[in-house]
Amino acid sequence: VTGIDTELTDIFRDEAAERLDQMETALLAVESGDAGAESVDSLFRNAHTIKGAAGMLGLDDVRALAHAVEDVLEGVRRTKAFPPEVAAPLLRATTMLRAQVAGEHQPIDELLHDLAASLSKLSDGAARAAGAGVPPARAPEAEPAAEPARVLAAEPAAEVQRTPEPAPGPAAERAAEPARVLAAEPAAEAQRTPQPAPVPAEPAAEPARVPAPESAAEPARVREPEPAAEPARVPAVEPAPEAQRAPEAAPHRSDGGKAPLGAPGPKTELRQLRVPAEKIDRLIDVVGEVMQYRGRLAHSLGGHARLPQDVADVLGSGEQMLDELKDTAIGMRTLPLSVITRRLPLAVRDLARAAGKDVEFAVTGADTEIDRVILESLYEPLAHMLRNAVIHGIESAAERERAGKPSRGRLEIRAMPRGSLVEIVVADDGRGVSPEVIERARDEGSLADVLAHPGYSTAAEVTDLAGRGVGLDAVRSYARSVGGNLEIRSEPGHGMEIILLLPLALALLEVLLFERGQAVYGVPMVVVEEIVEVAQTLRLEDRPALEVRGRPLPVADVAALVGAVAPPLSGRSPALVVSAAGRRAVAICDAVLGQEEVVVKPLSPLFGAIEGYLGTAVLGDGRIALLVEPTVLAPRSRRPAGLTSAPDPVPATATATATAPKVLVVEDSFTVRELQRSILEAAGYPVVTARDGREALGVLDRNPDIELVVTDLEMPELDGLGLTRAIRADPARSSLPVVIITSRASEDDQRRGIEAGADAYMSKQGFDQQALLATVERLIGR
Amino acid sequence: VSVYVRLRVASEDYAMPVEHVLQVAPHGDVTAVPGSRPQMLGVRNMRGQILPVVDLALLLRVPRTAPPTRLLVAEAGSRQAGFAIDQVSEVGELADPTEETDSDLLVGAALVGGDLIGIIDVTRVFAALEQVPQ
Repeated sequence: VTGIDTELTDIFRDEAAERLDQMETALLAVESGDAGAESVDSLFRNAHTIKGAAGMLGLDDVRALAHAVEDVLEGVRRTKAFPPEVAAPLLRATTMLRAQVAGEHQPIDELLHDLAASLSKLSDGAARAAGAGVPPARAPEAEPAAEPARVLAAEPAAEVQRTPEPAPGPAAERAAEPARVLAAEPAAEAQRTPQPAPVPAEPAAEPARVPAPESAAEPARVREPEPAAEPARVPAVEPAPEAQRAPEAAPHRSDGGKAPLGAPGPKTELRQLRVPAEKIDRLIDVVGEVMQYRGRLAHSLGGHARLPQDVADVLGSGEQMLDELKDTAIGMRTLPLSVITRRLPLAVRDLARAAGKDVEFAVTGADTEIDRVILESLYEPLAHMLRNAVIHGIESAAERERAGKPSRGRLEIRAMPRGSLVEIVVADDGRGVSPEVIERARDEGSLADVLAHPGYSTAAEVTDLAGRGVGLDAVRSYARSVGGNLEIRSEPGHGMEIILLLPLALALLEVLLFERGQAVYGVPMVVVEEIVEVAQTLRLEDRPALEVRGRPLPVADVAALVGAVAPPLSGRSPALVVSAAGRRAVAICDAVLGQEEVVVKPLSPLFGAIEGYLGTAVLGDGRIALLVEPTVLAPRSRRPAGLTSAPDPVPATATATATAPKVLVVEDSFTVRELQRSILEAAGYPVVTARDGREALGVLDRNPDIELVVTDLEMPELDGLGLTRAIRADPARSSLPVVIITSRASEDDQRRGIEAGADAYMSKQGFDQQALLATVERLIGR
Repeated sequence: VSVYVRLRVASEDYAMPVEHVLQVAPHGDVTAVPGSRPQMLGVRNMRGQILPVVDLALLLRVPRTAPPTRLLVAEAGSRQAGFAIDQVSEVGELADPTEETDSDLLVGAALVGGDLIGIIDVTRVFAALEQVPQ
């Protein structure tokens, strides 16, 4: 077992424990007769996600058991009745799942039989109630049982041969369960006692949480295994009670309980703690404040050189400790995505084999750092999307060949930071959605609205692996619960891209702080090339410009760029030379305050869909700095602004995104296509793509607002030259700019490209994104 | 009958259920956030926490002649905001709202000694702010 496996298993164990808690709470409510229809959905979703993750981790028993639980719940859904006695075997199943998840391998066959028996009782009951002579549940019931045999050859026989049998002793089981759940409360409380160092000044909003010290002495007793019917399967650390009481209502709170769970057994109890995320947030806040304090102290003392040696030594070691504290605090929150993606290639391979598909899988941007709380809860949704792609998205080799695609399907995860968000894309080149779905999306708003609608499934059949109608809606509600969102792009026959947008979370950021009109702004230090003084500006193409190291760069007033009102700039003002999204620009301010590491706090959601801000930060003197996205200071195209003109009340970013022309990228290589897409999108152009010339013509028909085409030369179906000629032959598009990018870069090729009507011809060799952007801007820039 | 914080917004009286109110503070320095909607006055440093500040008068369409002087810090769900107001008159019980109002940001209005007091629906106010497009 590798470290990654252990880490993943820990994460899974933690998540499963939380889900099992929720399931048990719901099942107990069913047993006591006060559960709504909603609880069936949440039970189903929980069982489904446990099953999915277990499948990817190769925990066959857990998966089989969760699947059987799903079957019963499916029966409940179908018969629209949840008799209390059905809860008992389900509770036994959650108990067994808990044990299995904790690594205790016990035979599950008997339990599987019991669950099957419950299911058939349910179905028979429904049949009797309906007064029908024919057992209606036969066909649907046979399906899930038969599927695994087809999909997974190495299926445990028990699952295939599930036969109805009466459940033994449900009453005894039922009696034992509530006692344990109640016991979880004091246990959880005790577990909260050993906490990180006391945090000063808890925010007023925090409910007073005074841990009862006496309960600390009791956990061992509380956790002692209960009646013999329940083997030692109680996990070492119970989840925080918040999670049990309001699992859905307060995302941050329930997320808070997701630190890795310790191995079972009282001995390791204190090795790992579950700490609410807000405590770590507060810790990082305090670290940030202490760092500001250190800055002020150093400043008031006037630098180390003037200090007596002993004072300097003490200060020096204090700084070292503070740096370590900072790194540790940050380390508590962020991890690279690779922590959860390293195991995925193997999992996808296994999944593809089981499904009889040939799939190539790649992860890019795995070094993207993500808040740990988000990362730990991300595996499930990612695994879910990959499963969907393999099972439903990517076609069989034969079907792909018939469709003119490479027989090997391609599945990819791409991660990249996007402003204050991290974007994670799961892309496949499979069959995509049907034209009817596209049609519905047009009516309902977006593909995400259709596909992530509760109860929707892209595949009609029910398989062991996925597709039970709890797919994307679970993923979307997950994304939204952490403050993100989900978008879907797809075209019939051409695969699907699911885009998860997740918050970057708070972190310390090195920024350059500057002032303009009383307000303080900050921009990430990494994009600032230098600071210059502006005495006078040139005009270039009727826009103000400044010569920096021999090159004229566009210049603008920071106030105009962000859309703030400010008094006129003085004669000699400092300015930042900023490089962002492939552009360089100069932004003039009143004063540069200096470099500082700040704690980034996202703008409140009450600001709505405001753009252009990474967040805000509290400075040492109590002022608030607005942290702007680099592209605000280096916008794509700039209207006249700056030293003499009046401030523009419209924020620069809003203008840039609202009017940016749409670009069509035509390229059969996935990687090149996505590279070009990302370059163009980063520069603010909306991008649509096509995989060959023929498809491109269709895309052009559907998108009359495309203002430029970037195309490859060699492509299946219709090549770049053919596409260019077809565009030129259409009177409506005769002036649509076409840029050809190709690996064939001889003069002869270039001549043929230009003859076909291309406006520019670029080589893939030594491909230069600046050159691409410059060409695009030249052709359609305003 | 529930307990409310009664407050004055320019020339009008409103009330907010006390369970939503965290504190009342001086208006203080509010940093404007360029590009935001006019209802958002900006952000304020409240003991190290950054609090969004909402122009309650603009939201409720009460004409304002003088700048607001106080902030009522309120909470609903996981959201917090400071609402710019002029005065907190009292905290006490109030009859349930009996009068209907046009604004969907109000639960209704209560008639107290001839005065009409609008009862603010804090959850709706937050939801409305989050949903309104830029």
